[in-house]
Amino acid sequence: TSALTQGLERIPDQLGYLVLSEGAVLASSGDLENDEQAASAISELVSTACGFRLHPGMNIPFKRLSGEPPSLPWCTLAGKHSFLLGLLGFSST
Amino acid sequence: MGCCYSSENEDSDQDREERKPLLDPSSPPTKALNGAEPNYHSLPSARTDEQALLSSILAKTASNIIDVSAADSQGMEQHEYMDRARQYSTRLAVLSSSLTHWKKLPPLPSLTSQPHQVLASEPIPFSDLQQVSRIAAYAYSALSQIRVDAKEELVVQFGIP
Repeated sequence: TSALTQGLERIPDQLGYLVLSEGAVLASSGDLENDEQAASAISELVSTACGFRLHPGMNIPFKRLSGEPPSLPWCTLAGKHSFLLGLLGFSST
Repeated sequence: MGCCYSSENEDSDQDREERKPLLDPSSPPTKALNGAEPNYHSLPSARTDEQALLSSILAKTASNIIDVSAADSQGMEQHEYMDRARQYSTRLAVLSSSLTHWKKLPPLPSLTSQPHQVLASEPIPFSDLQQVSRIAAYAYSALSQIRVDAKEELVVQFGIP
């Protein structure tokens, strides 16, 4: 797990992160520490977004999900893990 | 077009399952043509092509017309209601056990193999965001101008003598 989180710790302006695998929290820190509510709400958001296609049969057209203004943590999916990163300007409420 | 889960594919198996009627359609209302029962069956066997054509047009129209005024509410008796209700509940009970599979979130795909790199990279340029917001506003405005333009009566009287 530290391999997963080390890279996240070093990202400049980060205020917290969450790493999920199949719905279970593997690691969390900062503003997102133990925030299971945010984790499940955002997971559903990402899952919905993954259903968007501009054309049928197209691959998912995005690598990272972010909000504007950045009150949403930045999200990406890699392998079996979901990564949520709270950045400056982000508030977990 | 680009809506969540929409596609131009034909009905998936799941869609077909969902739209299947719960009960086998029992004898449909046969009062489509009140009193004007098609009697082309009694024509002499030596039909002309024209007669056959007219008959097929008549038959097609008869199957496509929904005669609103003939919709008799003579309907069903109490015990038939109860029977139907019971049949529906049994069918639903059988189906609801197989409906749970869509309630779980489908497994999430993988977006990248470099999550740290993706998360550490630059945010979206503000000009891109502005452009997308402007396009979305145009789309919203266009959508809000869609309206139904009623041109004809929905229910008409056929002049059946």
